[in-house]
Amino acid sequence: MNVKKHPYSILSVLLLILVMMAFISLGVGAVYTSPVEVFTNLIGKSQSNHFILFNYRIPRMLLAVIVGASLAVSGAILQGILKNPLASPDVIGVTKGSGLFAVAVLIIFPGASMVALPFSAFLGAAVIAIALMLFSYTQGTKTHSLALIGVALGAICQAGIQYFMIKFPDNVNTTLLWLTGSLWGRGWNEMWFLIPCLVLIPLIIIFTSKLDILNLGDEMAVGLGERIKYVRYTLLSISVILTGASVAVVGSIGFIGLISPHVGRRLVGSRSKFLLPVSALIGALFLLLADTVGRGIVPPIEIPAGIVTAIIGAPYFLYLLRREQKNK
Amino acid sequence: MNIKKQRTSRYIIGFIGVFLLIAGIFIHVSVGSSSISITDVIRALFHPDNSKQTTIIQTLRLPRAVLAALIGASLAVAGALMQAITRNSLASPQVFGVNAGASLAIVVATILFPELHSKTTVYFAFLGSALGGITVYLFAAGGKVTHIKLALAGMAVHLFLSSFTQGVIVLNEDATDVLYWLVGSINGKNWSHVLVLLPWSVFGLLAAFIMGRSISILVLGENMATGLGEKVQWIRLVAGVIVIILAGSSVAVAGPIGFIGLMIPHIARKLVGGDYQRILPFSALLGGILLVYADILSRFIAYPFESPVGIVTALIGAPFFLYLARKGRKIKQ
Repeated sequence: MNVKKHPYSILSVLLLILVMMAFISLGVGAVYTSPVEVFTNLIGKSQSNHFILFNYRIPRMLLAVIVGASLAVSGAILQGILKNPLASPDVIGVTKGSGLFAVAVLIIFPGASMVALPFSAFLGAAVIAIALMLFSYTQGTKTHSLALIGVALGAICQAGIQYFMIKFPDNVNTTLLWLTGSLWGRGWNEMWFLIPCLVLIPLIIIFTSKLDILNLGDEMAVGLGERIKYVRYTLLSISVILTGASVAVVGSIGFIGLISPHVGRRLVGSRSKFLLPVSALIGALFLLLADTVGRGIVPPIEIPAGIVTAIIGAPYFLYLLRREQKNK
Repeated sequence: MNIKKQRTSRYIIGFIGVFLLIAGIFIHVSVGSSSISITDVIRALFHPDNSKQTTIIQTLRLPRAVLAALIGASLAVAGALMQAITRNSLASPQVFGVNAGASLAIVVATILFPELHSKTTVYFAFLGSALGGITVYLFAAGGKVTHIKLALAGMAVHLFLSSFTQGVIVLNEDATDVLYWLVGSINGKNWSHVLVLLPWSVFGLLAAFIMGRSISILVLGENMATGLGEKVQWIRLVAGVIVIILAGSSVAVAGPIGFIGLMIPHIARKLVGGDYQRILPFSALLGGILLVYADILSRFIAYPFESPVGIVTALIGAPFFLYLARKGRKIKQ
């Protein structure tokens, strides 16, 4: 196991960068606000951009941070339990599942969308996760079949999404925007859906020892008295809840869950005690950066955050593939 | 005696296949928003006159049926070749990101140069499919990569390419046309599309059939193939180029129709055994049959509206993929 020396200092540096990024992010957008002005507004010394800050930018910044962290932790858990460095919620079909349900709601009930959308997205993630567990159940706890079945289920959901978009072409642009993933127009109302994340992330970081034991291998884990199947499905459920809640709020943003754990592993090694919090911080930073760049690059037009994460994430992913290949 | 028996059974399978394909094309031509009886179809094909039915059949229905057969055959053979050169039974144009790469290239090309004729977009498709395919191939070459890793890597490249495609569409408002195309559809195609596709797919299919023997030897293993005097890298390269030609031209004409390249080679292998001299032609035949019948089905999913045939193949293919995944260890061989 790869253990690096200064995990706490890395954690605090990341936290510092995140706070700085948050300040920059609050200033960027159609109405530009300097970091100093942001600060004076926040402590109440100035009222110049109070409304914009407190009603639009702050909730959006918080959402980006929480969603990014959730997706990253979810990916880190999945990579741990599937013992596969390429696993992530978007690759094993969970994101596609919530996409399918959300698209169905967006298109069939265009009026009800704002309330029903997050619920349906969440439901979709849960349905796919349950299907995943049912299909893989008879295989015992073989992890490789879990990943493949996830890819297959994702393909089925993809077909469903396409069917809806072709059958009801009127709402296609809203749907596409949602499918790419964007924080545009999200605010305090969406914060409710992230409460499970706010509870689960600290909990999972406290109970990380289970994940480490699973990493030792099945025999070893059984020898240490763990009920592997139970632990694995609990962790999978947590990962699904985190993904479902995130996708419910921002749509299906890719690559955060795939890449953040890798960066984390490079920085602090693979011990979950440090890996999970560091991945969470990196995920938060990643999404916040993506959202800020997308918002600030050609204002007032916003590039969906999902496109920015793909542009940043894909080259890094290709690099990972190559390194993986070299290790063979 | 057993060998003779096998040979007879292969002939029977072949005949049944050809019969099914021809019957499928006839049904395909007769079914549609205005239904034409089979006898009328035969009359229109062999004794064409100036009636409305003849016009419909000759300008709309027949090219579409021919396209379905050609594209089905191309994608199936591309899949069989990929499974052979990677020695990985999950390889297929879709899993390898070849389809997604071609889609991205074509979407970008049509948005940048809206006046382009589909003759030229074919080359963009080749470029894109090469890009997607090579990326995943570099990762999967040599057969050391397990199925799960290949599937996950392919999926990730696919996600990456398709999020770019989505982005391009989101930033360009008139999206619906491209969307329909992106699912994979041969609705509304005519002879000019057949002419775009025909030279590429005929060339690709013939080249693949000629390579059948070398491919069979390659599947035995790299050392064995080298020992038998085959130039392994050379075979891989040529097979890769054929895959890009077959898959790229199909996507350029009909969009990324999924799962044919994944499913058909498995079915062909079940029917005629492990020799690629037989698997490749049978894959072509079966692929043609599958897409012709899938295209017939596609008209009934949301009757009277037509659905893209890509949805039908996904609905058939994804469960098949699930079945392959559940077979688990068996497919590792």
